[in-house]
Amino acid sequence: MAGATQVLPRTMPRPAAWRRRRVRRAVTFYLLISPWLLGFVLLSAVPLAAAFVMSFTNYDGLNLDYLQLVGTDNYARALADPDAQYAVGRTLLLMAVIVPIGLVLQLALALMVNQPIRFSNVFRTIFYLPYVIPVVAAVWVWKIFVDPTGGVLNALIGTVVPGFNVRWLVQYPTAVLAVLTIWSAAGGGMVVFLAGLQGIPAEFREAAMIDGASRVQVARFITLPLLSPVIFFNLVTGIIVALQVLVQPMLLSPGILGLNPGTVPPRENYFYVVHAYIEIFTKQLFGYGSALLWLLFTVVLGLTLVLFKTSRRWVFYGVEPS
Amino acid sequence: MSGISRRKVLIGAGAIAATAAVAPILAACQPTPKTGNGKVVVMTDPNEFNDDDRKTLEAATKLKIEVVASNLTTLYAMFAAGNPPDVFRVQAAGVPQYISRKMVKNLQPYFANSKLLKPDDLAPSNNFYKWDGKQVGKGDLYGMVKDWSPDFTLFAYTKAFDDAGVKVPSDTAALTYDELRDLAKKVNKTAAGKRVYWGFVHSNNDAWIDRTAMNMLAEKNQSLYSDDFTKLNISSNPEATKVIRYLYDLAADGVNQTPIDPSPNWMGADFNEGQIAILQYGYWYSAMAESDKTKGKTVFLPAPTWSGVRRDPTMTATGWVIASQTKDADAAWAVFEQYMGGKPAQDRAKSGWGVPGLRSLYPQMPQETAFQKQVQKVLQGELSKSDFVLQFNPYIGEETFSTSWKKNLEPALKGSISFDKFVQNIESEVNTAIADGKRIIGG
Repeated sequence: MAGATQVLPRTMPRPAAWRRRRVRRAVTFYLLISPWLLGFVLLSAVPLAAAFVMSFTNYDGLNLDYLQLVGTDNYARALADPDAQYAVGRTLLLMAVIVPIGLVLQLALALMVNQPIRFSNVFRTIFYLPYVIPVVAAVWVWKIFVDPTGGVLNALIGTVVPGFNVRWLVQYPTAVLAVLTIWSAAGGGMVVFLAGLQGIPAEFREAAMIDGASRVQVARFITLPLLSPVIFFNLVTGIIVALQVLVQPMLLSPGILGLNPGTVPPRENYFYVVHAYIEIFTKQLFGYGSALLWLLFTVVLGLTLVLFKTSRRWVFYGVEPS
Repeated sequence: MSGISRRKVLIGAGAIAATAAVAPILAACQPTPKTGNGKVVVMTDPNEFNDDDRKTLEAATKLKIEVVASNLTTLYAMFAAGNPPDVFRVQAAGVPQYISRKMVKNLQPYFANSKLLKPDDLAPSNNFYKWDGKQVGKGDLYGMVKDWSPDFTLFAYTKAFDDAGVKVPSDTAALTYDELRDLAKKVNKTAAGKRVYWGFVHSNNDAWIDRTAMNMLAEKNQSLYSDDFTKLNISSNPEATKVIRYLYDLAADGVNQTPIDPSPNWMGADFNEGQIAILQYGYWYSAMAESDKTKGKTVFLPAPTWSGVRRDPTMTATGWVIASQTKDADAAWAVFEQYMGGKPAQDRAKSGWGVPGLRSLYPQMPQETAFQKQVQKVLQGELSKSDFVLQFNPYIGEETFSTSWKKNLEPALKGSISFDKFVQNIESEVNTAIADGKRIIGG
């Protein structure tokens, strides 16, 4: 082969050190995400898979001696269940009320505490506090707050309107629940909005104002579009939370049982997951309850996908999401 | 990335999820190991089993005891995972169901050989732990009451009667339920829309409404259910309709705590606060009936009667059973036996928080204060009327009837549905639950 040009192999063989470094990086990556991954597998994927299996059985949650496959009977029953249908209606109504009002309130609070005013940190803390109060304590305080006999709310209104007496939890249970839910979630949403607001470069607003844009125009054409990813995030999480509401209506119910079999919320607060809870833990229909919850999961997944689909038209990312 | 790709990790995670999802089911299908590890897991109410009790039992049995707070949701979850507590607290309403589903151990052989718990010393309330597949009170014994009370007795707050200018009923003669309703309406009081006294609060905020109805009906040898428990019969049974109508009317009268007039508290606390004129509760409540507000103004009264045939059994029969899946039945029994017949049982008897589960411990109930003496006088009369059981339905959970009652009572009281529709809804919902239960356990 003298004088011939030596042909180099098309690719260089990978040095062993380079391979080792890649493996090390991969191991490090998976080790770092392992807490989340383990949590997801054990606390989300496993229960979800178990519930899916259960939804095709007559499982009663007590023992397996009488376990039988029932095919899709539980799903057919769920679709024909009048209580489930009623609960779906109430849940959608609650969602339609608390999600938009919650978003507007969270954004308003964030805009407020984003102003260069004195004690803004104090206000941020005050607004955020309800978010970190345990739900059981929050509901208990509300229950006492609105109690017709010893409650503060009626007493306060009574100072202006003598003889005022409203049984809030009996006459307006959904309104009380909606206010409680909006109040307790406002701080969390506010912080996310605040982070979004502070991520908008001041130059954009200043440039627009130099060009003669009014405050409303700045808000409409600069702030809101740049805030749209945050609005989208709060909207999706808000919808998921609203569709899954359980603890608050159960704890707001008459009696002291709380989140236990035997608790029955007022009819107006009979939401979808409440119904599933009663079917599972009161009637011991774990198979049927699992089917109800899988239907909910499918709806939540579908709604989220639809939102993601529409987000292309109204959500503006600083960088394109990968 | 070579070696460990995202796809492989996701496949691995999926496999772990699928395995973990099926594992509890497979594990629960395995035969239970026969030996334990010297530890007995007891699920009970921490208020009924304090740390001293635990230490006493550990010293007496040389076993380690782990206490899990009693909670139905947790209990079901532990059973679902195939790892139930060795010993757990139950109420009578759940016993036939637990026995039918083979969840609890037959303790008849243990009782037969026990030196502490002799069958002829057992209080009649222990019959609630017998179930022969057809009737409560018949067959082998599967558990025992920790203590109990004739539960249909009444506590009267005399100040409410004084305020209404009404005479407090005699503690020697039982009221009829109709007299009780009339009295309740007289002492019931609200002022400016606020509650002053509820006239007559009963059935633990309706959680035990079926038990109240069953006891009233049993005075006429009738039941809420068909003989084989496969049907709830209200509308087709005039006497059952009458009883349900009576209980509904009490709610409609506004003398009871209801979904449209709830209390933020439990009824015992409301009585202590002086907000209840007549409270239907068992003897056990006498240990706490006298608060600063009600002291000297509380009277214990005999159980009312529906048709003149007095019955005053317990409606809770709270006690313990042993899980059939226990890893060490002998160890579980040792703890059970000591708790029911050893020092903790004697301590409970002396405390006055219930009639002891053993007749031999009856004399230890407290009789020191004037109130305790008055209570004992009434109680002795009631004990002779307490040798009855309630026939709980084995196909449904203990909250099924009351949940349906509460769910439908609210729209009925608000006028959205009629009384007939109220009954029809309860029948339909409970009968569906019975059919579900029957499909599961057969029979």
